[in-house]
Amino acid sequence: MLLLQLLINGLQLGAIYALTAVGFALIFGSTKVFHVAHGAAFTLAGYLFWWSINAQEWHWAVGLALAVAVVVAFGLFMERFIYRPIQRHEGAFFTVFVAAFGMQVIVQNLVGMVFGRGFETVTVSLSRAAEIAPGLFVAPIAGIAIVVAIVFFIGLNLFLLHTHVGTGLRALADNPDLVRVFGLEPTRLAQVAFGLGSALVVPAAALTAMSQGINPGIGAHIMLISLAATIVGGIGSLKGAAYGGFLLGLAESLAVWKLDPQWSEAVTFVILFVFIIFRPAGFLGRAQGAK
Amino acid sequence: MKIKRLLVSVAAASAFAALPATGQDIRIGANLPMSGPNAEYGELFSSAAAIAIEHANADKMLSKKLVMVIEDSQATPQQGVVAMNKLVSVEKVPYVLSAFTGVSKAIAPVGDKAKVVSVNGGGIGPDLAELGDYFWNVIPLVNLEVQALTPYLVKERGLKKFALLYVDDPAGEAIKKELDIHVPKNGGTMVSSQQVPRASQQFAGIAAKVREAQPDVVFIASFGTQQAQIVKQLRDNGVKQQLVGYSAFSSPTITKLPEAKGALFPSQDVNWDGDAISKRLARDWKAKKNKEPNAYVANYYNAVMVFVKLAQALEKSGHPITGENLLRQRKAVGTFDMVGGKMRFLPNGTVSMPLAIYEIDGGAGKLVKGNLIVE
Repeated sequence: MLLLQLLINGLQLGAIYALTAVGFALIFGSTKVFHVAHGAAFTLAGYLFWWSINAQEWHWAVGLALAVAVVVAFGLFMERFIYRPIQRHEGAFFTVFVAAFGMQVIVQNLVGMVFGRGFETVTVSLSRAAEIAPGLFVAPIAGIAIVVAIVFFIGLNLFLLHTHVGTGLRALADNPDLVRVFGLEPTRLAQVAFGLGSALVVPAAALTAMSQGINPGIGAHIMLISLAATIVGGIGSLKGAAYGGFLLGLAESLAVWKLDPQWSEAVTFVILFVFIIFRPAGFLGRAQGAK
Repeated sequence: MKIKRLLVSVAAASAFAALPATGQDIRIGANLPMSGPNAEYGELFSSAAAIAIEHANADKMLSKKLVMVIEDSQATPQQGVVAMNKLVSVEKVPYVLSAFTGVSKAIAPVGDKAKVVSVNGGGIGPDLAELGDYFWNVIPLVNLEVQALTPYLVKERGLKKFALLYVDDPAGEAIKKELDIHVPKNGGTMVSSQQVPRASQQFAGIAAKVREAQPDVVFIASFGTQQAQIVKQLRDNGVKQQLVGYSAFSSPTITKLPEAKGALFPSQDVNWDGDAISKRLARDWKAKKNKEPNAYVANYYNAVMVFVKLAQALEKSGHPITGENLLRQRKAVGTFDMVGGKMRFLPNGTVSMPLAIYEIDGGAGKLVKGNLIVE
């Protein structure tokens, strides 16, 4: 029963990692910008959701809408005013990384100053597990997390496959120069990628605020795992990032079955190293040089 | 309102930055976590110390204005040592407020070498009693807390089977060591001990293992945001047993957490309505923070006031305020009238104070059993 319990917990956690990882993968895959500040968007979304419900007593849908509006604006701001000027001048990967990392630290401290540096949680009955079989406790939020992740992935996939903008984003990932030849504007498409990718952290952040609670440093932590999920899944593959997120969530949870809890997060990075050494292209990523 | 709070924070940060500007002040240092996941403690501790400084200055207890220079330890030993070196070598303070077992153990040799007194009001590891003459504690250490709590849980509440979740740092290790001694001694058993990494934020799987062990009581030996995450996730994941912690459970994050309601923790027995000093601090704290004070507020207020009283005596006798003289004076005096009653320093630099067991009730904690004397 313990194994089944850990499996369910792992799927719930994996859904959160997968949503964050897919957002990052969409941005990185389309624009090649290593947007580490994606974790800052997660923190902002979590706190705005919590603030709307706990402090303002607004309906949860309003909290979600506010979080979406702010993190989309944050993503667009980062693309327009941070990454684009860097890329215009030199475009070095390291400069982009440092700028994104710096923004992550700034947001973390601002959130701490405005909302407090302690632990916050949205207390809802959805996070309370009930015993559905002897020794097996499942909270409604576990099912919600898994369903939300699946719905978002299907929706994103349909968008990328069946809309002009989606096709443009896929084309941007493949060959930005060719996109220009077809009369599309890469910067406009990059904005869409940042907006859409950032919006994907909102359900993950809201679910985290309800199930685990949040603190100003939560985004950096989730981002680290999601980054590993993106690499394990295969850089550039949205489906791979989703699989990677679920795999790492499951691994983190199942590790407790036979190992000391101290190993639960280490297992994530053991998996990452195994992929880097034996399958550097990840689950579904393209092998180097295949392009 | 939030913007106002932001501006106040910025103003406060600027004010701290400006503190060392004048050479006419008497300065003390504070090596506290002002950023990172434990910044909530730094804010709490420094606010309590700031009120003590306000009181000392308002009452003109010293010949010059007393100011506090704060350096950020981030609650990590590495950063704590960097901050301590700055306070000792650049700011040249004779007295430094410290917190957290790991940080305190790391900075003690720096203070010892420079003959600068470090005073801990938040770390609880029993090792803190063995860090030399220049390291003092104004908080009863966790061996005393465990000695006060375990007989109550086993003998009076009939909670015999203990499960422990402890963080992988010196504080967590110290609590495990004490529970391994005192639980069996009082007739209980340790049915499960799980160590969690400091950065871990996911405890649903651990909750399943706790349920499987079927304890009567679950002891949570962590701190900062992590202990709140543990409490929430244990409760959300079907752990219905009595939860207990140590004095870190008195942090506002835990006391306001709905899932923590009913949890027990030991801490100093502070009667806020008792003497004039306690009443004054409680009144000013409520006015500034709009909430009830806890034992940490008393500790950091007391830590500053110990300095003020020692410095006052040194000024009166014409001796300079140095770490060496502060130590000599403390050994000569021994007992101080402080918030919470008489504070008696033991020869190893720790204090003997009565303890109490509190229950989390959404406020500052309901007194369950008081005046517990353990030494």
